[in-house]
Formats: sequence, C-alpha cells, structure tokens
Amino acid sequence: MSTVDKLSLMDEHKPKWKPRRSGRRILLAGLLAPALIVGVTVACTFLLMVFVSFQRRFPGDAEFTLYQYALFFQDSYLLETALRTIALGLVTTTICGILGYPVAWFLVMSSSRHTYIVFIVILAPLLVSIVVRTIGWTVILGNEGLINAALLKLGVIQSPLSLMQSFWSVVAGMVHVLLPFMVLSISSVLGKLDRSAIEAAMTLGATRSVVFRLITLPLSIGGVLTGAVIVFCLTVGAYLTPLWLGRGSVQVLALTIRQQVMDFGDWPGGAAQAVLLAAGAMTLIVIVSVATQRMGRR
Amino acid sequence: MSATQKVHKKSDLILRSYVAGVLIFLLLPIVIVIPLAFSQDASMVFPPSGMSLKWFERAIARPEFVTAFWLSAQLAVLSTAISLTLGGLAAYALVRFRFMGRSLYMGLFLSPLIVPTVVLAIALTMIFAQLGLLRNFWGLVIAHVIITLPYTVRVLSASLSEIGRDVEEAAMILGATPMRMLIHVLLPLLRPGIISAGVFALIISFDEFTITLFVSGPGLYTLPIEIFNYAEFYSDPTIAAISALLILFSAIGIIIIERFVGLRNVFK
Repeated sequence: MSTVDKLSLMDEHKPKWKPRRSGRRILLAGLLAPALIVGVTVACTFLLMVFVSFQRRFPGDAEFTLYQYALFFQDSYLLETALRTIALGLVTTTICGILGYPVAWFLVMSSSRHTYIVFIVILAPLLVSIVVRTIGWTVILGNEGLINAALLKLGVIQSPLSLMQSFWSVVAGMVHVLLPFMVLSISSVLGKLDRSAIEAAMTLGATRSVVFRLITLPLSIGGVLTGAVIVFCLTVGAYLTPLWLGRGSVQVLALTIRQQVMDFGDWPGGAAQAVLLAAGAMTLIVIVSVATQRMGRR
Repeated sequence: MSATQKVHKKSDLILRSYVAGVLIFLLLPIVIVIPLAFSQDASMVFPPSGMSLKWFERAIARPEFVTAFWLSAQLAVLSTAISLTLGGLAAYALVRFRFMGRSLYMGLFLSPLIVPTVVLAIALTMIFAQLGLLRNFWGLVIAHVIITLPYTVRVLSASLSEIGRDVEEAAMILGATPMRMLIHVLLPLLRPGIISAGVFALIISFDEFTITLFVSGPGLYTLPIEIFNYAEFYSDPTIAAISALLILFSAIGIIIIERFVGLRNVFK
C-alpha cells in the first residue's frame, strides 16, 4: 500500500459500509425474525390451549362454554390434587429458601478459598440429568437403600421403612433439583448489596442478628422473592419427580393433566387444568413483582 | 483475641458446617449411583457385596438403549445447531440495537423458563396433534429448540455484551465488509460464548424429560425416557450404570464450559 493510499484511508474516518436507517430496520427484522417465529409459535400454542379449555369436546363445534371449569371446581378429587400441588410448591419453596440463603450468603460474603468449589457444586447438579438425580433418590430412600441399610445395621429398626411414595420424598427430590435456582437468585442480589451499610452498623455496635434483620434481609428480599417465584413455578409444573418418587401415591396436577389428556383422551378437561395451573403461577408472578417494585420504591 | 472475634469465629464455623451439609445433600444423590453401577448384586442393594462391570455390559448391549442414545444424540446436535443460529441472531439484535419492545422480546425468549413445564408440554402436544407433528422427529426438534433457546440467547447475549462495539466499528473503519467482519472478528471473539452456549444446549436437550415424553411416542423414545421405562419394570443396577455414564458426559460438559468461559459467568 502506498503512502498516498494510507493517507487517504486515514482521511476516511467513517466506515465504508454504513447501514442507512431503512437498512438498519431490515437488518433488525432479519435478525429477530427467526427467533421471533419460535416465540410466536409458543404464544399461539398457549392460545390454542386456552381456546380448547373453553370447549365441551375437541375437535367439536367451537362453542364457548365454561363446562370444563365448572367440572373442575365440582370435582373434590381434582380440588384436593390442586391443593396438594400448591402445598408441594409452598413447602419446596420454603425449604429451598431456608437451605439456600446461608449458602448464598457464604458464596458472596465469605473470604474462604473454597467459595469457588462451593459454586461449582451448587451449579453442577443443574447439568446432571434429572432422571439420574431421581434414580439417586431411589437409591437413598428405597427399601434396600442407603437410609434403610444404615438404620437396619444400627439396629434402630427391624424391618425397612417405606420412605418412598410419600409427600416428603417428593419434597426431597424437588428441593434437590431446584435449590441451585434459589441460591443463584439470592446470591446475585447479595452480590450487589452495599457492604459499607453492614460495616457501619457493626461499627456502631449492632449484633450480627440485628444487622441481618434490619439491613441484609430487607435489602436482599428481592432476590429471595425472585428465587421463590422460579422455584414455585417449576415445582407446580414438575412431572417426573412426583411421578417417580411419589410412585402413584402423591397426586399432583401435572400428573392428572397427563392422565386426562393421554389416558382419557379428554383434551378440553386437561387444557382447563393446565390453564388454571398457568393462571395461578402467572398471578403469583404478578403479585410478587408488584410487591418487589413497591419495596424498591420505599 | 477479643470476645467478639471469638463469637464471629464460632458463627463462621456454624455457617461453614451448614454450607457443607447443603453441599452433601446436593452431591449425595448424584454420587451414590456410581458405586451401584459397579455392583455385582442383582438389585440396587446398598452397600454392594462386590464389584463387577456386568451392568455396564448389560446397558451397552441393550438395543433399546443404543437406539435411544443415537436418537438423543441426533436430536441434541440438530436442535443445538438451530438454537445457536437463532439465538445468535436474536442476541445480536437484543444487545446491539435499541428498539421498541426490546424487553418484551427478551421476556418472550425467556418465557419457557418460567411457564410450568407441564403446561408447555401439554400445549405443545395439542398444537403438534393439529399439525401432525406428534410422534414425529421434526416435532421433537422444534420442541427442543424451544427449550434450549432461552439458554443460548442468554449465554450469547452475555458474551456479546462483553465484546465492545468498538471492535466491530474498528474493523468497518479499516474497510471490512459486514461479512468479513463477522467471520474474521466477531465469531472468533465470540468463540468461548458459542462453545458454552452449545454445550449447555446439548446437555439440556439430551437430558430433557417431560416435554419429550409428551410429544414422543413408541419407536421415538430418547435415552432419558428409555431409562425411565426400564426402571418402571426392572430394579437391577443397569440404570445405575447408564446414570454413571450420563454423569461422566455431564462432567465433561462442565469441564468444557469451565475451561472456556467459566460456569460462574454463564449463570451471572
């Protein structure tokens, strides 16, 4: 390249190729379109489900009816199942919070050399198949499993306890699967927390519990609530864990929805249950996000 | 040492033991299947009475598992490739452009994470039944692209936003066409992010259970579903052996992500 060329190049400080305004729009549309098709497909999928839930039969005469919802609220078995689903969600969320908060605290605040290992151990289970993790719980809780073997050997019990097939075995499995989500959302908020406030309070003689109650918890409650919403929504929508660890004795909506659609071929009935489940979860998300914003404004 | 320091030391010890307890709770159910995979007993008895490799042989020799493994692998590779392409384009738009409804689009791409899994599963089943995509390989591909897209968009946006816009502009000022800039500047810089997003999508697709169970059918079972079916009828350590192999796969994936961008950055 000659010196003249170089000089002329330096003169042109603008890019040679510069999209015009209309070109920019086309580029943006082109970039977004493919993924948008996927997003819109998902949205349409939900609209179809809502539509089906207002039918008496599907495919049928496309007449709007509340028949399926009336049926749901008259069915004591389904109502009991819905209550159990909510209870499972609440219990799992609470335990995840209790187990997760101190771990998140340790991850962010501790000066320990081991925080990185702790981080990997918290995240790694997310990348191990849920089928594998559920089999692991079978090995621990089963009649010939770890806990029974240990208790038999110690002479605490004479015959194996049946630890599977219970509400609490499902809770154990759910907490195991979802705890990482809780830890992550709490630690991301704790990480942004202004530590000088804590130090100031400590200097002024506040005890650790006072600092926690009056400073740390109020400032990090947003992370706890976000984590709680994620854990709750994923728990009430979980299928494999209640099926496998409950072994048919812990009925939740995820299981009845599949039975309704696959075993009885009742699409509108299953759709109505799914819409109610999704509506419940969405309502919770809205309530929590409004509450979080209110708290932020205070 | 003052009294308060002693108190702090004590509470620190309590915190550490608590965290250690939680970590054991997280690791135990995963690690425990490994000794059982090498068991010589005919059922999943703990502790095993002796060692053998026969359950690995049994697992690898079972044709259902082999077919399911190949289906899972094809599905994972194909949906990851599609998801990376779509996710990359969307991430570029979301990071580099400011436009109306940007956060709405972001929410749309991330929505499959929040919607209860069973609801997404049943909704997809209904629309696939109408479109003839139920029990169809391409139906499974579409479902897996939908599941993995939130992760690829997220990981790629994160790594794209760390690469300054000035690099792109510099390349353009020096006269590169957009295509040359993409191939010689942006893609090489994005490589760690692309690899992590890809490994992530591969693992998520390979492990997915619920949605796949709803939209697949006999003759089109992925490995997790075939393992589940086996476990419903047999309780021998074959499933422990397969689980051990899957744990090995996950461990390799985690090491790759850790090596290129770090797990910590993916979840930030």
